[in-house]
Amino acid sequence: MPPGRHPLPREFITQHQRARIIAALAEETVEKGYRAVTVADIVRRAGIARNTFYENFSSKEDCFLAASEFAVKEALRRVVDAASRVDSWPARVNSGLAAFLHYVATEPALARTCIVEALSAGPAAVERYERSIQAFVPLFRMGRKVAPKGEDLPGTLEETIVGGVFWIIYQRIVMGQVEEIEQLLPELVEFSLTPYVGAEAAKRTAAEAPARASG
Amino acid sequence: MLDTETRKETGSSERAAIVAALIEVAAERGYGETTIEMILERAGLDRPAFDRHFRGKYDCFLSAWQDQNEECLGTMVRAYESCEEWPDRLRAVAYEVIAGLSNDPGRASFGVEVLAAGDAARARRDMTMRVIASLIDAGRQEMDDPDSVPHTTAEALAGSAYGQIYSRVVRGAVEELPGLVPQLMSAAVMPYLGIEAAMAELSRESAVPEGYARGVAKKRADKSEQASSDGAEDYPPELARLPPGRHGLPREFVTHNQRERLIAGIAEAIAEHGYSGTTIAHITRSAAVSRRTFYEHFASKDECFVAAYDTVMTELRERVSAAFEESEEWPLAIKAGIEAMLQFLAAEPNLARLCMVEALVAGPAVVERYDAAIQSFVPYFQEGREGRPPEVLSRLSPTTEEALVGGMVSLISRRIIAGKTEELEDLLPDLVEFTLTPYLGSAEAAEIAKR
Repeated sequence: MPPGRHPLPREFITQHQRARIIAALAEETVEKGYRAVTVADIVRRAGIARNTFYENFSSKEDCFLAASEFAVKEALRRVVDAASRVDSWPARVNSGLAAFLHYVATEPALARTCIVEALSAGPAAVERYERSIQAFVPLFRMGRKVAPKGEDLPGTLEETIVGGVFWIIYQRIVMGQVEEIEQLLPELVEFSLTPYVGAEAAKRTAAEAPARASG
Repeated sequence: MLDTETRKETGSSERAAIVAALIEVAAERGYGETTIEMILERAGLDRPAFDRHFRGKYDCFLSAWQDQNEECLGTMVRAYESCEEWPDRLRAVAYEVIAGLSNDPGRASFGVEVLAAGDAARARRDMTMRVIASLIDAGRQEMDDPDSVPHTTAEALAGSAYGQIYSRVVRGAVEELPGLVPQLMSAAVMPYLGIEAAMAELSRESAVPEGYARGVAKKRADKSEQASSDGAEDYPPELARLPPGRHGLPREFVTHNQRERLIAGIAEAIAEHGYSGTTIAHITRSAAVSRRTFYEHFASKDECFVAAYDTVMTELRERVSAAFEESEEWPLAIKAGIEAMLQFLAAEPNLARLCMVEALVAGPAVVERYDAAIQSFVPYFQEGREGRPPEVLSRLSPTTEEALVGGMVSLISRRIIAGKTEELEDLLPDLVEFTLTPYLGSAEAAEIAKR
């Protein structure tokens, strides 16, 4: 923390520390895989005292879960922000997905930690991964209102769409193509919209430029 | 003193006992808690027995996982082939998978455990997922414009189906799985057959259709009957030559050597009947040799297949290696290697099918080889890491190369399944760009791909 004449509010310092620890966990995880990372590694990378770590988190797993919660919240915030800049639901999906892919491309370490490594981090992490997927489900469920037979669509359709998008991202991360992930936007938009608005309309929306959020 | 056969048999049952014990123990206690001692106690075997088959706990886990993936692939492809129409085929696959998980929940939890054990287990799971994606992707052939659906769609559908099944297994809600099938099917057919077909899937019965189960059983019975009635057909020696023209094999394969003729014969028979549908009679007929000759060379269809697989892969590896060595610059060497592979496969559709598609369903003996074959291409890509800046290396993971080879193989086998083997060479720019991007970035990779 920069020494300042104005002492920073306690809450800000805590927030900042947590974010730094989470970033350190993500970087260490990318380097050696979640299972091999120790609290000592995280502490060293974050440049903080061991005590500080334990003031914020009870364990490595606790820290991992917090990282995942942070990433999902931040992703949702960006998606909703981008989506709110346009009016129609298909355009919102286009802009929201664009914001999501952009976030993944700009935070590769965090993305790898939450999407790829989640499977190695124990049952609680797997459950958290499931909840992350569920967090995006309502955004797609709104599409049933614009779909001609919205209520008759399969009950797990939204789970399929979000799970599919996550899976594609997972694959690209594993293949070392995370920086190119934004190029997949039109295909993923088409995939997500087709069940609601039909293939033709989905292709049309996928061809449009998404609204850019501030980031 | 045991003769070789008996020893081989004891070995394989010992290995099977260890694997079965491992799956049980790991499902109960989790990967981290499971020790080799616990596995051996459950199997009633001693440590030397373990060491004869495995290098350690992780190796044993991976082998068991590999066996399961292979077996699962085999049953899926058999289910797929048991029906004629694409949606029926997919439905048969879905029910087969779910029946497997429901009947043996220990297995399902083992899958959850093994994935937590590391990258290599995930990489094997991903290979299986690519095959499933290609079965879904076959849906595009039902369309007026087969190119109108992006290829990522099938990948996404396969991945999310997996995720939905996985989450129910983790939650211990295996009994929900059969009810999930109509939902998964509906989502899977929608992009290819449209909304009406998707709705129709939802209103189907969610219980395992009896007709399907009987269908598979009947088909299997038919085959064994056929196999046993084949015995009478022995070719007279004067006909014992390769039929000219039809086999499409490279000249070096077409020798007077009976063994090689049998290998060519199995490739042709498999191209026509699929691995599981091929009988010894099909092979001897294609090879134009007698049944007796077959058994002089091979003990079984599997053994003949393995020999064929090895021959094809040796040839393929030699061609790739020669092409790779000709270029000094790594990216161009990769391009040349991929080009050589595509040329060989496009020119030899039967062999392409044999090594890229049928090998996956031919059972454990080939599965290990398939895996080794994938691994043998990994070092070519690993060379690309040399001299790259840290920011490039940081986005590569230990399994990046395996995933790249897997992704490439999956694109190729998808074309082969779609009957487009002759057009494989069109894939060259895409494959070059795809495999070079992690090392060079997309702009340079695209430039080299276009050159």
